[in-house]
Amino acid sequence: MTRPANSVERGHMTLGSAGKKLFSDYSYMVSFVLILVIALSVNPNFFTWRNVTNIFVQSSVIGVIAMGMTMVICAGQIDISVGAQVAIISGFGIEVLNYTHDIWLMLGFCLVFGAFIGTFNGLLIAKGRMPAMIATLAVQTSCRAIINHFGQGGPFTVAGGISTEPYYETFRQVANGSVNVFGAKFPYPMIIFIVVALLFGVIMQRTRLGKHVYALGSNEVSARLSGVNVTLTKVAVFSITGLMCGFASWIYASRLMAVSASSAGSLFEMDAIAAVAIGGTAMSGGRGKIIGTFLGVIMFKIINNILVAAQVPTFLNGAISGAIIILAVLLQNMRGDKK
Amino acid sequence: MLTQMNGIVVDFGPVRAVDHVDFAVEPGEIVGLLGENGAGKSTLMNVLAGTFPPTAGEILLNGQKVRMTSALQAMRMGIRFIHQELNLCNDLNVFENLYLGQEMLGTGGLLNKKEMAERTREVFARMNVAIDPWTTVKTLQPAEKQLVEIARSLLFKCDLIIMDEPTSALSNQEIDHLFVIMRQLKAEGVSFIYISHKMPEIFEICETYYVLRDGQLIGNGKIADITESAITEMMIGRALAEDDFTHKEYYGTDEVALEAEHLCGDSFEDISFQLHKGEIIAFTGLQSSGRDMLADALFGVIPHTGRLTVNGKPMEKSTIRSFMHKGVAMVPRSRKERGILNDLSIIDNNSMGFYNTHLKKLLINTKEEKNRYNRVKDALSLRANNPKNPITSLSGGNQQKVILGRWLETNADVLIFDNPTQGIDVGTKFEIYHLIIRLAQEGKAILVFSAEFPEIFKVADTCVVMYKGRINTVLSREQLTEKNMMIYSTGSNLEGKKHDQTCQ
Repeated sequence: MTRPANSVERGHMTLGSAGKKLFSDYSYMVSFVLILVIALSVNPNFFTWRNVTNIFVQSSVIGVIAMGMTMVICAGQIDISVGAQVAIISGFGIEVLNYTHDIWLMLGFCLVFGAFIGTFNGLLIAKGRMPAMIATLAVQTSCRAIINHFGQGGPFTVAGGISTEPYYETFRQVANGSVNVFGAKFPYPMIIFIVVALLFGVIMQRTRLGKHVYALGSNEVSARLSGVNVTLTKVAVFSITGLMCGFASWIYASRLMAVSASSAGSLFEMDAIAAVAIGGTAMSGGRGKIIGTFLGVIMFKIINNILVAAQVPTFLNGAISGAIIILAVLLQNMRGDKK
Repeated sequence: MLTQMNGIVVDFGPVRAVDHVDFAVEPGEIVGLLGENGAGKSTLMNVLAGTFPPTAGEILLNGQKVRMTSALQAMRMGIRFIHQELNLCNDLNVFENLYLGQEMLGTGGLLNKKEMAERTREVFARMNVAIDPWTTVKTLQPAEKQLVEIARSLLFKCDLIIMDEPTSALSNQEIDHLFVIMRQLKAEGVSFIYISHKMPEIFEICETYYVLRDGQLIGNGKIADITESAITEMMIGRALAEDDFTHKEYYGTDEVALEAEHLCGDSFEDISFQLHKGEIIAFTGLQSSGRDMLADALFGVIPHTGRLTVNGKPMEKSTIRSFMHKGVAMVPRSRKERGILNDLSIIDNNSMGFYNTHLKKLLINTKEEKNRYNRVKDALSLRANNPKNPITSLSGGNQQKVILGRWLETNADVLIFDNPTQGIDVGTKFEIYHLIIRLAQEGKAILVFSAEFPEIFKVADTCVVMYKGRINTVLSREQLTEKNMMIYSTGSNLEGKKHDQTCQ
């Protein structure tokens, strides 16, 4: 069918259809405003600086992971190992910190370890020709089992109190500290989240890698025939997601100062995928925007906060992420761009 | 069955795709439906086949007004639509495909495979086709798949078959066979609506014609009362200058751009040729002749053995990227599956070749890419409004122009055009032929892979005819006739020799 063809070809693109396109391209903006309105009606103090920065801080860990996830999903893939990656990286990361007493060495370790797991995922999928769902599921269970084994059920705790070891407080500052700009407090995690999002925005829109990701998710055969290195691109998206998991683990460990092997990062994959879905990224790949995911993560957190305020039991969090993914994708499909 | 469509209007939002069209098919009649891409043919047929309802107008079957609400309902009324893209499940076998969605059940709700296979065999016998119902569809040739599609429409009561470009994957012999089947069914009272861009086919098989342009009915009548050029003129709204191509000049130089020595690959062997700068060589052959595979191998899509030299340098690695960096470009066949990046904008589709060959900077310069697009737009007279729209918003011909632009912007010296005008309207086809010749004039070395004689005749300096994976003959421009092409494509010239060999 050449339905939309006629509209462009004959130059009949009218205000109505342009508006429709605008809506389908920026529907996440509409939902964002809607959720802000709901949040404001529930909590009149919603727009205080403290509350806003809090939401950013709470979103930062998932936010950093979701950036990688956007890339993976735009490339037509999926990564369900991110939660388990956070568990294993933050667990071992804390061990590295306890041993070296150096938070930057720990960050280095987290990034390298994350990139390593991600690359492993990517190689299984690109070179081993495994479906992404199966490969990352296997990696997920393996990572979780390994960290459970080393943790022996107990948590990994940053050793020493504030008085004895100075690095303890330094590390705590990563997630809890802030800088003052013009009298306003900007928490570090908020800054990290925004900078990472900006960086990903540039990568996706303005670099060859970004174009290759969209091309791959759009049509793998055409992408290959137009000179895209499909294997490399696939490995790259998973490596980058692993790298982001490493980065997120560092912040995560700092926020908690003790991570439990069995529950750390659990359901992070669901939260990240939910954020990407609300952000308007096509689950089939090829289409999606970083700004969408950025707002998606924040929307997701606001919804969570509303539910907490409404005293919905925390055990139901998984069900809520599930419901949000279903709703977001259903809405995407209903927008009418049936392929 | 007498089929009538009166005053059909189809609006897609603000766009009127079909504008008050009256259309009728008599019982046992074969009607040719013509028009350029985007003229509204498919839309009109989709209305008839129940894919979507018309905005206005009525459909009458045997004088009775009907409302088509679904494809299934249209099928029950005896209307079958064979789409251009084959809708077969490759992993199922032939009869399972035929009965898909309408399976015959035996005792206990289990599939009655025996009965289905038997009925399938009967249909094939009626069509005079030798395909085993138990074969997996994956292993069939494209032509056989097409026949399976047709068989599916004959399985149940069927009075009207709509065929949308059924011959795009068929060889001439297979087309002839298809026509025999169509005539046979016609004698049984089945009507056909035949959509094709290939004029000779329309004139061979159809009795009446309808021409659509921009959603409106431009003309209809008996095929016997009209000429090819008159119909073409109706379709595009102006006369085409066929004569432009009869005196094609040779722009070849002494410089060799591409040399193949004893290339062997998946379904071709011992291919040797020299391509000079400014020269246009066409490769032709039947679907199974290894033509497609050779095109792929010359761009590193599939591996090959033997020696291949580009601009004097041997190709060491056979990957697509290494070919691109050596200055080879390929406009692939099957634009939809292998050419367009459907979610990407027109600009990105256009720039993808540049990104992958010459982009040195870390960041893409948006303005530069916009200029690149405008350059291609002017050079190829591309019809598009907003380059940020997805490429799927363009018609087939304009999409293909973007793909051409993608490769022109890589500044390649050797250009491979693999079936470059597949499913494209006549007007755009001619533009592409002119472009190919212009590129040769500028000193590009060009290979054209095609099965269409008129296309090859318009552009080629020489034509290599393949048969069963080997070069059967090389026709010079003087020897290039439709008859010669046919003889060598089908291997008719070899029959005598083969006989000699077996007698020894």
